[in-house]
Amino acid sequence: MTVAIHWEAFFQVLGAALVGTLLVVGFYALGLRMLVRAGRVPVVTPAEFTDAITVISEKEAKRAAKAAAKAARKSPLSEGQKTLAQIAAYACFAVCAAAVLGGILLIVVK
Amino acid sequence: METAALIVVLVILLALFFDFTNGFHDTANAMATPIATGALKPRTAVMLAAGLNLVGAFLSTEVSKTISGGIVREDQIHGDLFPALIFAGLIGAITWNMLTWLLGLPSSSSHALFGGLIGATLVGIGMNGIDFGAVLSKVVLPALIAPVTAGLIAFLATKLAYLVTRRYDGRPDGRSGFRWGQIFTSSLVALAHGTNDAQKTMGVITLALITVGWQSGAHHEPQLWVIIACACTIALGTYLGGWRIIRTLGKGLTDVKPAQGFAAETSTAATILASSALGFALSTTQVASGSVIGSGLGRRGSAVRWRTAGRIAIGWVLTLPAAGAVGAVAALIVVIGGGWGVLIDAILALAVIIGLFLRSRRNAVTANNAFSEVADSGLAVEVPEEPPLTPRQARAQRARERAKAREKGAGR
Repeated sequence: MTVAIHWEAFFQVLGAALVGTLLVVGFYALGLRMLVRAGRVPVVTPAEFTDAITVISEKEAKRAAKAAAKAARKSPLSEGQKTLAQIAAYACFAVCAAAVLGGILLIVVK
Repeated sequence: METAALIVVLVILLALFFDFTNGFHDTANAMATPIATGALKPRTAVMLAAGLNLVGAFLSTEVSKTISGGIVREDQIHGDLFPALIFAGLIGAITWNMLTWLLGLPSSSSHALFGGLIGATLVGIGMNGIDFGAVLSKVVLPALIAPVTAGLIAFLATKLAYLVTRRYDGRPDGRSGFRWGQIFTSSLVALAHGTNDAQKTMGVITLALITVGWQSGAHHEPQLWVIIACACTIALGTYLGGWRIIRTLGKGLTDVKPAQGFAAETSTAATILASSALGFALSTTQVASGSVIGSGLGRRGSAVRWRTAGRIAIGWVLTLPAAGAVGAVAALIVVIGGGWGVLIDAILALAVIIGLFLRSRRNAVTANNAFSEVADSGLAVEVPEEPPLTPRQARAQRARERAKAREKGAGR
């Protein structure tokens, strides 16, 4: 009985998952960064305040929103630059969505 | 032949029950992190998980083919004994699952299933019945490699997420925006769960159909009704498993930041989806746990709690042989007792299922059964509340303080 192990398959999984993850996470993070640059700092409060959430309290969320507004006012960028940054942000999010859809399509088509 | 038909029906019912418990057990895996960071309301999260599990089950059948056409050598098997052995294997899997649940041990439904099947086949057919090459390359090695892979990827992704959004001027960094992203990535995890876990039950049912000749051995594709039945069962299990999560929410949960949760979920989904495409049957629980640990280590100043990590690892390693042993005992009863053996096994299975049901009715929530193994695995990493500053952040902060001091001095 021969035991054939396809090692290259494991590297395929590692490679595909690594590239996919870094693409999605990297571009999403870049998109957020661009949003911040555009003066639209996302302040997303937890959908529900449960015991589990020690990450951000309601008070902290309000403070964060205030800080975000202040940072946006102080931004040295011109309106045009801000718009550009915002477009870049949405482009980054689009890349993420495309990467996810592409990955799923690859699996379904196969 | 009539008894064989009866046994196949029993196998299908038991396999679907296993599918149900699998979904029931694993809702938390997909939805633990988004609930923990507050990205989704628990009720929404559960609904989403159930729906996407259903969709995921239809996406790929590679994993199902691995089980129905790789691990067990059907060409070595003939006669009516084999369906009864699958039955015994399923009993092994379900019993071990229940036992670990009662004891609060980390375990994996998938490995329990494989262990039970392999154990039962070894006893009933012998060494010839198992294709050890396939077991090694499609089950055992993925089991060892996938969590590490997912952990490594999650580690790198977390580092990347923090690096890209890090600011040196003390202004808001917008990291709470990762909460939006988590809605999508956790959905992706639920989808991936469907492509891997629902497939396992399909594979078992297809294997049973092939061995009694109701399906040609040349085609290992699960039939449509099998796919639909398994998809619906796992979705139902996922949905009903949700109430447990909602009730036990917040107990034994670790602090997960949105950026970290986002990275962990993306890594989990990518690893499972890539493995599903290649037909690797892996444990979604272990992959998700690996990701949570890896992403925890990706945060600055974190350290591994080796004792907790070791306990988790031991639970994982034990699952396959332990479920195999239970499956082997169940198979032994079949081999010795024939039809009566199947009856005895069926009664034992019924007792186990009733026990499981009674246990789930009990409201006792302890730290052991509180959330999920994935959430627990987060405890294996110690993360400080305030991470240490990066050298550049520290320099920037010192510069700001000096500037402030100068301003004060000038004002006086």
